[in-house]
Amino acid sequence: MNLFTSFQISGSALTAEKLRLDVIAGNIANMSTTRTAAGGPYRRRTVAFAEDLAASRGRNDSVSFHGRGVRVDRIYADHRPPQLVFDPDHPDAGEDGYVRYPNIELAKEMTDMITALRSYEANTTAVNTAKSLYLKALEIGR
Amino acid sequence: MFLFGDSTLFRLGKGLDAAALRQRVIAHNLANLNTPGFKRSAVTFEETLSRAKDAAGLPLARTHERHLRQTAAPAAEPRVTTETDTYRRIDGNNVDIEQEMLEMVANQLRYNSYVQQVNSRFNNWRYVINEGRR
Repeated sequence: MNLFTSFQISGSALTAEKLRLDVIAGNIANMSTTRTAAGGPYRRRTVAFAEDLAASRGRNDSVSFHGRGVRVDRIYADHRPPQLVFDPDHPDAGEDGYVRYPNIELAKEMTDMITALRSYEANTTAVNTAKSLYLKALEIGR
Repeated sequence: MFLFGDSTLFRLGKGLDAAALRQRVIAHNLANLNTPGFKRSAVTFEETLSRAKDAAGLPLARTHERHLRQTAAPAAEPRVTTETDTYRRIDGNNVDIEQEMLEMVANQLRYNSYVQQVNSRFNNWRYVINEGRR
């Protein structure tokens, strides 16, 4: 049970980082979306992670290390003002002739994406290490 | 020495437990690489064990009631400690990916060496049993 939990811990991180990649991909895909269901331009989304802890069972020792990995706490919408581009011919241009575009910085999304990818890789390595420990344990007494 | 009272085997088992727990803790640290305010944890066991071993020393024979009494060695158990006093990033997270990867590899090697030692221990007993049969 002890070792199997480490699969779950790394698995939770893989799920969380994958969701983060999805959100970043969504941001990049909607870089110039001016129409949304809520009205107005698309808003950049960010993911907030939180440490996942099992209900504490007293002392923090070998019996009750209660770390369970990571969970996605919330997906936030960015509330920074949209970018204004003067284009009176655009169908979504306002009275003043400005079009409101989402405030997405491509460089920021790219760096976030690389961070998420590297974290994903680190957790994959942790899964592989746990697997090799488990296989090694099967060799006891052989 | 009797097989099931083998203290080396018992300690190796504890070492395997500690290494498995450490893998879990490192996985947890790596999982929270991007969690704001997260503080890393670490497992201490080998240090505690060697200290417990030093404290135990050689057994003292007590033939008189006024002879020195030997205090029992503290039990060496794996312990999880959280490093709360360091900072690595502006969001308060202190997980260092290189350090975690390094510790994970070191822990894997340690686990493998424990398994190997357990096996060689068992092989010794097997040898004793089989040779005695001849």
